[in-house]
Amino acid sequence: MSSLDLRTYSGLFTSYTELRVHENRNTNITFVKGNNTGNSRSVTGGVSARVYQNGSWGFSSSPDLGDHMVRSVVKVATDNAAFLDTRVNKGKGALPPTPASSHADFSTAKTRLTQRELVDFVKEIDGHIVEQYPSLSSRTIVLNCTDMEKTLLTSDGSYSHSLVPRSLIYVLLTVHKDGQPVDLYEVFGGRGQFEDVFSAPACLYEGIARQYQHLTNKADGVFASAGVKTCVLDAELAGILAHEAIGHTTEADIVMGGSVAGALLEKEVASPLVTLVDFAHTALGSTCPVPVYVDDEGTPAQDAVIIDRGILKTFLHNKESAVHYGVSPTGNARAYLFSDEPLIRMRNTAILPGTSRLEDMIASVDDGYYLIKPGNGQADSTSEFMFAVTLGYEIKGGKLGRAIKDTTISGVAYNMLKTVSMVSDDMKWMCSGMCGKKQPIPVGMGGPAIKCITSIGGR
Amino acid sequence: MQDPRQTAGYALDALLKAGADKAQCLLVQSDKHEMNVDSGELSLLRTTFDTRLALTALQAHRKGSSSGNKSDPESVDRAVAECVSIAQASQPDEANDIAGAQPREVFTTGADAPDLDRMHFRLQELLEAIRTRYPKALLRQAFLDFTRTKSYFVNSNGVDFETHKGVYHCFLMFSSRENGKVSSFNYTGFATRDLDRELISCGSLDTLLRQSGEQTTTRPMQGKFVGDLIITPDCLGDTLGFLVRSISDFAMISGTSIYKDSLGQEVASPRLTLHSRPVSDEICDGYFVTADGHAAASSTIVEEGVLKSFLLSLYGSRKTGKARAVNDGSAWVVDPGSTSLEDMVKSVKRGVLMARFSGGSPSINGDFSGVAKNSYLIEDGRIAYPLSETMVSGNFAEMLKSITAISSERVDYGEAILPWVAVSGVTISGK
Repeated sequence: MSSLDLRTYSGLFTSYTELRVHENRNTNITFVKGNNTGNSRSVTGGVSARVYQNGSWGFSSSPDLGDHMVRSVVKVATDNAAFLDTRVNKGKGALPPTPASSHADFSTAKTRLTQRELVDFVKEIDGHIVEQYPSLSSRTIVLNCTDMEKTLLTSDGSYSHSLVPRSLIYVLLTVHKDGQPVDLYEVFGGRGQFEDVFSAPACLYEGIARQYQHLTNKADGVFASAGVKTCVLDAELAGILAHEAIGHTTEADIVMGGSVAGALLEKEVASPLVTLVDFAHTALGSTCPVPVYVDDEGTPAQDAVIIDRGILKTFLHNKESAVHYGVSPTGNARAYLFSDEPLIRMRNTAILPGTSRLEDMIASVDDGYYLIKPGNGQADSTSEFMFAVTLGYEIKGGKLGRAIKDTTISGVAYNMLKTVSMVSDDMKWMCSGMCGKKQPIPVGMGGPAIKCITSIGGR
Repeated sequence: MQDPRQTAGYALDALLKAGADKAQCLLVQSDKHEMNVDSGELSLLRTTFDTRLALTALQAHRKGSSSGNKSDPESVDRAVAECVSIAQASQPDEANDIAGAQPREVFTTGADAPDLDRMHFRLQELLEAIRTRYPKALLRQAFLDFTRTKSYFVNSNGVDFETHKGVYHCFLMFSSRENGKVSSFNYTGFATRDLDRELISCGSLDTLLRQSGEQTTTRPMQGKFVGDLIITPDCLGDTLGFLVRSISDFAMISGTSIYKDSLGQEVASPRLTLHSRPVSDEICDGYFVTADGHAAASSTIVEEGVLKSFLLSLYGSRKTGKARAVNDGSAWVVDPGSTSLEDMVKSVKRGVLMARFSGGSPSINGDFSGVAKNSYLIEDGRIAYPLSETMVSGNFAEMLKSITAISSERVDYGEAILPWVAVSGVTISGK
């Protein structure tokens, strides 16, 4: 990324201003049924400025990092803020200064692999799958690596630089059963550049073997019985629940837009077994999947304990919402592209582990489901949620039974979390997802397994 | 080398000089002017400029792609070298190719520049209309933007297309509140060539805002039954999306499409006719050039229930041995039926008017389940009450065949024109 020294432009700031140089770099390699259908690299980057004037914001961006364009985006953003201010005249006061300094670079110290070596890596995995699992009717392998690098200067004295990469390999396996296709995906990888995350193709083979066994079970699976059931949600589903059904309702802009959470602060919204945190960068002694040390408004990022032993404690804030609610900003303002303005976003949202063993949780269910792998998920400002479930099993008499076909669970999160009766003592993070809210953004989600009562779709 | 046409030509020549047997270059310059509303108030004016340089090189049937958003000479040279290097690292595939020679064309649609004062006027007018007509509405987020793009597509077979396009987009996300109760959020958007009309009269916005106000008090439905769905135009995309994905490259090449041998066969009720019309005057936010460099044309995908075309790219066509589509899909237009929406509701004994589907991606065989959001229970031909915590499940492929009526009314979103569609045989379950 450009080594432009943003501090040389601070003299152009006439009002609260953020000046950001931001570059996203992406590598994608795809094999569909042995065909190398994708092999590409992309770089998207540039400079942006955002200016605040009496409650109105102006923003401008350009991919050109030349001196004249940096000056131009600051001027256009300043003019835009003035244009809006003269028309809406909100007369709001200044934003709280949050000076901070940070440098976080997660790039690898190892020699980078060439594109050919990456293609060969994926091809070797594809060859292994063909050799080991001849009954598959199709397989798709996608390698996706993203580096997000930002340098930020704000008029209240924050200066930060971050490079946060993530490297993922998606494996989708398909079988045909009675002429109908059945599939199951798995994601490998996480935070870090490829060389730090994947050492050899063989490191994936144990996971792929488990995936294949689950797929075989799913091909013989049954429809879930639609209705309200006792379920054990494994870590990945608990993570998406924390993010979608609770986290979004506590984003302060959503609260201002009418989220049900607005009336629930300091009230009991979950079982006392549930503590839910949006971690900034470090959780339980380890670096999170998507660490944020200083956000895109220059605010030092802090953990936000959303639910503490069942009680709703806080919302997620940027500077403007913090002023509105009379609290300190939490460092949740994040932008995806150089051309995007920062929005209130989650970072690493997780339910904290409890004390139960997963085996005991399953054994305690007489008639229900053990749900393992989520697909997509959505939630409402009412906290009504829906998550696709792509892998799960019946529980009958405390024992796992038949696999189930793809299904969906739903409910009202602030009601459902009150039914949580057991929380497992382990924890798993996911960082393959992109959260959508005007802009996409990488997020971390995590959790233990939880036992709860929820609606499940089926026949 | 500031002229974009010259830059695209330079990049194409450089790819060939660097060793590509065949090459293509897409250069897009865009500017966006966007007014944003947060929590019911104008909050942000955003002006962004961007460039997209997308290069493709073929060398001995190996394909490489590289893209970036800078077009200065150094960046172009770097992208060219990277693109050829990626091609050399790829696996050879004889299906890789670029579009054949076509006559040079220049396409133009929409305005050249935004009318910022008019944008501000229309947005303020919309906010005032919402405050007046729908006082319960909570406008969480909205934007009105004008996006202008200039695109240049050239390839080594002599393809040379230039497109100039300007279009306004509007998007709103909202809920409603009454006596402390909040409705589920809903959202909609539309595109328009100009700002001649009040925004509230565009797309389905007025209807959805009215419904949102009705949905502050909802009831879960009791029990489970198999009944009818009337799918609103805002919700129809989920059903069509399954069909579209199933006839596109990935599903066809991987062999997982349930429609892979269905060309010319009935895949839906004879009531359904689906077109993709990216170059039609009735679509203001279409496109003129396909991703692989062919001049786009409108086409009929499903005619009276019969599958008339797959949506295969040039590569997908060569991999499967089936015909290349004349467009990339989208710009959907569904033919109207002969039944009014009112009569469609009257004909339902028990079912749901489904305005938003919050569900998982369907299985590749079409099985789906999800929550009916912003939806209503229909009983004995009348809309009974707005629902909460109600799940619907079924199979999209079966649903397409079980269409019982299509409305004579349609909603024009600028980027699609869609009716209400009634289907039978869906499992509906409440508490």
